[in-house]
Amino acid sequence: MTKKWMRCFLRESGREAPSPCPSTLLNALLVALFILFIFIFSFSRLEYDFHWAGVWAYRAKFLRGLGMTLVLSFFSLIVSFLLGSFFALGQKSRFLPFYFFSRFYVEIIRGTPLLVQILVFFYVIADAFRVQNRYVTGVVILSLFAGAYISEIIRAGIDSIGETQLETARSLGLTRFQQYRFIIFPQVFKRILPPLAGQLVSLIKDSSLLSIISVSEFTLNAQEVNAYTYSTLESYLPLAVGYLLITYPISNLSKRLERAFSYET
Amino acid sequence: MKEKIIGFLFVMSLLLFAGCGHGEKNVLNVGMELAYPPFEMTDKEGRPAGISVDMAHELGKFLNRPVKIWNISFDGLIPSLKTGKIDVIISSMTITEERSQSVTFSNPYSKAYLALLVSKDSPVEKVEDLNSKGRVIAVKKGTTGHLYAREHFPLARINVFDKESACVLEVVQKKADCFIYDQMTIFTNWQKNPDTTRAILKPFQKDFEYWGMAMRKDDTELHRQVNAFLESFKENGGFDRLAEKYLKDEKETFDELGIPFFFSP
Repeated sequence: MTKKWMRCFLRESGREAPSPCPSTLLNALLVALFILFIFIFSFSRLEYDFHWAGVWAYRAKFLRGLGMTLVLSFFSLIVSFLLGSFFALGQKSRFLPFYFFSRFYVEIIRGTPLLVQILVFFYVIADAFRVQNRYVTGVVILSLFAGAYISEIIRAGIDSIGETQLETARSLGLTRFQQYRFIIFPQVFKRILPPLAGQLVSLIKDSSLLSIISVSEFTLNAQEVNAYTYSTLESYLPLAVGYLLITYPISNLSKRLERAFSYET
Repeated sequence: MKEKIIGFLFVMSLLLFAGCGHGEKNVLNVGMELAYPPFEMTDKEGRPAGISVDMAHELGKFLNRPVKIWNISFDGLIPSLKTGKIDVIISSMTITEERSQSVTFSNPYSKAYLALLVSKDSPVEKVEDLNSKGRVIAVKKGTTGHLYAREHFPLARINVFDKESACVLEVVQKKADCFIYDQMTIFTNWQKNPDTTRAILKPFQKDFEYWGMAMRKDDTELHRQVNAFLESFKENGGFDRLAEKYLKDEKETFDELGIPFFFSP
């Protein structure tokens, strides 16, 4: 038996979050206070003079960087999702060259550091193919990188559909396309949403690594401002806020889609 | 039982926090980026070595304090100093107006000037050619080359990199017209890539760049001691010994080319 006072800290099983009521507010407030306390305590212990004026002068630079990160992320999100879906199908394919190519791609990309991939792709492969545009190259590398993870997420989603369902589908005379369209996809989509959203959020943050080939995105601009003004925390704290502004809508959208695609079973 | 475990973990974590502090009070924490041979580098066993490292140990002997070398990336040095992680920067750092606003510099102990590593087919013949549309300049983040380019070549495109090696690669692959850095590094990289690059070593700045050790603004006691050390080190011929030990070949080459040698206080 749970004691009565404990009930304000528990949520009813099976519900996303308790509906707005005093206990929701109480818990949210407690968490906010706790986090606030840690930050205030830590910053008060810090021997550091904040000079926001110097960084404020570079606000246009921050915004330009944020804009570039948005553009890079937008295209990478689309391309990586397409690549991921393509290679997930490859991993389920019965055509062996396609299957092996997909496996090989996933293993190579997942097993090597993104940093090395960026350097090799830009200075060796793109150079050999005479692609000089570092922004296009950046989107391609990021998409290839995230695509491998997304491919595995989708494959795991497809594998999670029980064999009996597929057998039933086949016995009903559904074609392979119909199986994917009506049986697998609607269930898979809901199951892969949380890891997919996580992967897309990572992709946005990983775009900061493109700064090593001087793609002028958010992180590089913040680092440059730091180099001009020598105010590290003043340059990097806006960076954290900026990334959160881009990534939070994705988490939020994924939550909403999850709810929209939940079927009673 | 659960409560006991949680209580135990809580107490342990408190002890852990209490235990975290500086070990020895007397240690002189010296920061430098070990990526600028022969001034700051690592020997074959991975230990810090080079002219600045030897100077740090001499300074420690002079002050009768043990020395600890911290390898920190160049644009993180001043922030580390300001937050008290290190006590002094000895990293071939040029004394500039901007940096002097955040830290105090010792008297200069060496001087240097900027030079250009130019891509073989680039139309750039002299430094004045750089300030025009279509020119691309590679710089290392936070260095005086970066700051100089930003101030003097507003029409050119400036690509910012973390590593010196990436800047050289950009020039070798004709992605950039030139790389602006100090004369010694430019000279060495030109020697390494004679078929794809050329060097413009003739000084183009109005003034030499002077190198100093940097300290926190409120650390006046250390400031006084460091200046006293530099004075006595110079009198004892310490700088000449270091030049003889590390820069013998370079000095001879520069004398042959008739270019003024830079390492002298």
